[in-house]
Amino acid sequence: MKDIIKLADSLQDNEIKVLRAFKPKVDHLADLKGLPKNEFLRAGMWLDNKGLIKTHKTKTRWIQLDMLGERYVKGKLPELALLALLKKKPLPLDTLRKHFPQDELRFAMGYLKQKGYVEYRHGTLAITDTGLKVRVTLEFKFLLKLAKLKEIGVGTLLPEDQYAYQNLKKRKQLVREVERTSIHFTITDIGKKVLQNLSDEKRIGMITSSIIKSGSWEKAKFRRYDVSAPVPKVYPGKKQPYNQYLDDVRAKLVRLGYKEMTGPLVETEFWHFDAMFQPQNHPARTWTDTYSLKSPKYGKLPSKKLVSTVKVAHETGGKTGSIGWNYNWSEKVASQLLPRGHGTGMSARKISEKPAVPCKYFGLGRSYRPDMPDASHLIEFNQVDVFVIDKNANFKQLLGILKQFAKELAGATEVKFVPDYYPFTEPSVQISAKHPVLGWMELAGAGIFRPEFTQSLGIKEPVMAFAFGVDRLAMYKLGINDIRYLFSQDLDWLRKEKIVK
Amino acid sequence: MPKVEVSKKDMEKLVGKKIKQSELDDLLSYAKCEYESTDGDIIKTECKDTNRPDLWCAEGIARQIRGGIGKAKGVPEYKIRSSNFLVRVDPNLKKIRPRIACAVVKNIKITDEVIKQVIQMQEKITGTFGRNRKEAAIGVYDFDKIKWPVRYGAYAPSKLSFIPLEMDRELNLLQVLQKHPKGREFAHLLEGHKKYPILIDADKNVLSMPPVINSNHSGKVTADTKNLFIEVTGFDDQTIHTALNAVVASLADRGGNLHAVKVKYGLRDNVVCPNFKSGKIKVAIANVNQLSGLNLTRQQILENLKKARLNASISGNTLLVEYPAYRQDILHEVDIIEDLLVAYGYHNLESEDPEIAVIGGELELEVLSRRIREFLVGFGAQGVITYTLTNKDKLFNRMNIKNQKCIEIANPVSQNWSVLRNWLTPSIMEFLGNNTNSEYPQMIFEAGDVVVPNSKAETMSDTVRKLVFAKAHQRANFTEIKQILKTLLNGLELEFEVDELDHDSFIPGRVGLIKVSNKIVGIIGELHPSVLKRWRLENPVALFELNLTELLKLVV
Repeated sequence: MKDIIKLADSLQDNEIKVLRAFKPKVDHLADLKGLPKNEFLRAGMWLDNKGLIKTHKTKTRWIQLDMLGERYVKGKLPELALLALLKKKPLPLDTLRKHFPQDELRFAMGYLKQKGYVEYRHGTLAITDTGLKVRVTLEFKFLLKLAKLKEIGVGTLLPEDQYAYQNLKKRKQLVREVERTSIHFTITDIGKKVLQNLSDEKRIGMITSSIIKSGSWEKAKFRRYDVSAPVPKVYPGKKQPYNQYLDDVRAKLVRLGYKEMTGPLVETEFWHFDAMFQPQNHPARTWTDTYSLKSPKYGKLPSKKLVSTVKVAHETGGKTGSIGWNYNWSEKVASQLLPRGHGTGMSARKISEKPAVPCKYFGLGRSYRPDMPDASHLIEFNQVDVFVIDKNANFKQLLGILKQFAKELAGATEVKFVPDYYPFTEPSVQISAKHPVLGWMELAGAGIFRPEFTQSLGIKEPVMAFAFGVDRLAMYKLGINDIRYLFSQDLDWLRKEKIVK
Repeated sequence: MPKVEVSKKDMEKLVGKKIKQSELDDLLSYAKCEYESTDGDIIKTECKDTNRPDLWCAEGIARQIRGGIGKAKGVPEYKIRSSNFLVRVDPNLKKIRPRIACAVVKNIKITDEVIKQVIQMQEKITGTFGRNRKEAAIGVYDFDKIKWPVRYGAYAPSKLSFIPLEMDRELNLLQVLQKHPKGREFAHLLEGHKKYPILIDADKNVLSMPPVINSNHSGKVTADTKNLFIEVTGFDDQTIHTALNAVVASLADRGGNLHAVKVKYGLRDNVVCPNFKSGKIKVAIANVNQLSGLNLTRQQILENLKKARLNASISGNTLLVEYPAYRQDILHEVDIIEDLLVAYGYHNLESEDPEIAVIGGELELEVLSRRIREFLVGFGAQGVITYTLTNKDKLFNRMNIKNQKCIEIANPVSQNWSVLRNWLTPSIMEFLGNNTNSEYPQMIFEAGDVVVPNSKAETMSDTVRKLVFAKAHQRANFTEIKQILKTLLNGLELEFEVDELDHDSFIPGRVGLIKVSNKIVGIIGELHPSVLKRWRLENPVALFELNLTELLKLVV
């Protein structure tokens, strides 16, 4: 019983109207006066969902005027027009041809002759006595009736209409049949119970400020809502998920004591390669593919003093304790520009500023590589470059820093170190972490910057450094397996994307 | 980085011990290689050091592993037998491909595995280390088919013919470059020269046309071959001798006897090779423990260096270290210290937590960008990230403006990504254009970088952080976008003005310059329908683009 009352209280005005239309004698409802058809059907659907009424669908066929039919009801059918013409006097066929199109004339003559309304003799058509009495045909009557009613149900035809319809059907484009699904509702037992329990009290639907101000709610009941009903979607404003992730990375690095550094997206080879002791015209220079620029081609080199220190380091090692790469270093090559292929140039720039030691720095930014984008490659990617300078820095400490990074940023519990090679670090190491699903994953390349690099830029202490691609970490964190989604161009996907954990 | 395949059986023979699958990681790490996978008897591994061609073959890896597990110590010794083999070099090669390093290896048992390793090593060394044969090209020949002395000379293309490998008829030198697959692949290395390098023996039989192809006569090595002649051509002696030494050391490790070859460049200019004289370097003992973080005694240091296949002795506080002649990667004592660490085994190292008390911090520009992103999310807008690479059509033509200066890439992978954007609005228009099937209203923003040419700057350009906020829907308009702009700038405690502006991307009279303290910081407007059409947009778009780098200076 409680449920019946709850149901009764949840009904909207239109639903109540429809339900109340079922009276003891009315158990079948196809429309309701005073309620537009669409509202009636919608209310019926809701009631059906609640089990109060049952929906029945029946297919019916309806006759309507077709194109020619529409035209003839405005004038006459051709046979009647011909008869009217002949009422004045018999006419030769040639004259008639001027009045009617050939098809129409042929049909009308045949029709009238068959009925005995006209006679054809010596090329002339004349009306008969029976013909003179004819005013209208059953077919035309039916057409006029159709024009008035718009449509007539196939099952409801009177015998004479049935006769006319069968004739008209044979003729082209006078009438047509359409099929329509009609809906009617019957009340269920629950419906009847709810109907008995409907109170006459006014019920508040949507609460408005005027209801609150007027106090009308004090006497009224609130309509109950179906709180489990589905609702239309809305989209919140959100940060791009990858951006959110990068913010988290940044925040973690700051918590670990790293200061952020930056650098230009377009870099000179000097900072990208030479300052880092990567020899010109040597395989070491192309350890990673890079773009080059069409225009502008060349940038400017830093101070003469710095340039000459780097030059000497490359050629003979200078004062760095190295024998150098033993070649002629070219300023021109060093001044070539490129969109940076890695972010380590940021470290070179920062180190050349001779930051106070000890210090910890990170740079997070876009780099470029000439790859066609696919599920695992992007033409632009984000890389984090990190370095730590301390007078006591050593290789075992570098491993400690890497472990901390793997734990804090990648959530790794197990790591391993293997030898690695970079032209600008020695010793070098790669750290891999064990992922519960993917197995061992390379996390970062690391090493202690070569003295030829750091000493030329003015830092005597050892510099521990590592770099990692954040893209793969982000993919893992965001649960995506196509890297292109990091830069998703799909608004629907972004709108639906979950909150970054 | 070179990826190398070795046979496990072969490796076990070379190392002198059975190898368990579980040991592979650690054993390979002695040779700076990373284990990748096993396929039957084949072990696949990636050689990490692009500067150590001696490690890109089974023999080299085994040599290093033997050191790591104590089966061998110190610099490997190779005996060079003297001989009368002579290679005369034509001075006309000076500008073409002047230098050559040679060796003869006798009494070597050529098995399929040996052939496989020689070919693999040849490919890897000439590919990576030799920069695709430019700096080093290796030729291997059947010694017994060669009549000494050999001449390395420059020949006019039409004057000489030979049957190259994998062909059955004679081609002249030009035809080799045009018709042979290897000829076509490497023709660019001889481009612009009137004469081509040729190795030819005393019977006028061509050995090869470096760096392109061997002859069919002597340039084929099979299981019947017993003695080998090996040469490396290029431009730089250090490079070609390193490559030669790496190859012949491997063959010597398999039992081959090395014989010297004299290369005669001129009357008094002779080089006898292979030359296995060790390199020498001094290392301050204190620096070993300081840089590695290890706490080794002098004796332990010496032992570990020997494991690394180096020789070492102590003189006062200095280590005198000798390294093998197949290495050219040792420039500094740090290189020796890394060798010591690798021989010690990275898997045996304990990490140490450094104690460095410093305070972290973000860049001000990043803080500002983040705060703004968070602020704009409050309007219900979706943040997006787009690419900084784009093309001129998108930047200018589709925006209905004339071409401007921008940073152009010389070797783009596709014209779609051939320039760096100099403003952000086109990226946002492209994004909207890609999402016309998504529900409207659409409200998006991006704080991202653009690169603006600037001839005064060191890199001829400035990297500038921009912000675009855009609304697209049936009634998107200037007023509502200016409301957002006003709220944002006022939120940053900035007063601003909007001045009238002519800009063809926007509807005339509905576009303005945004100024803060009389500085231009951006642009705001309703996009012109002709621009909308070019992005296939059917809804109005209103947006503003702000220069956050500039704004940061004004915010403080």
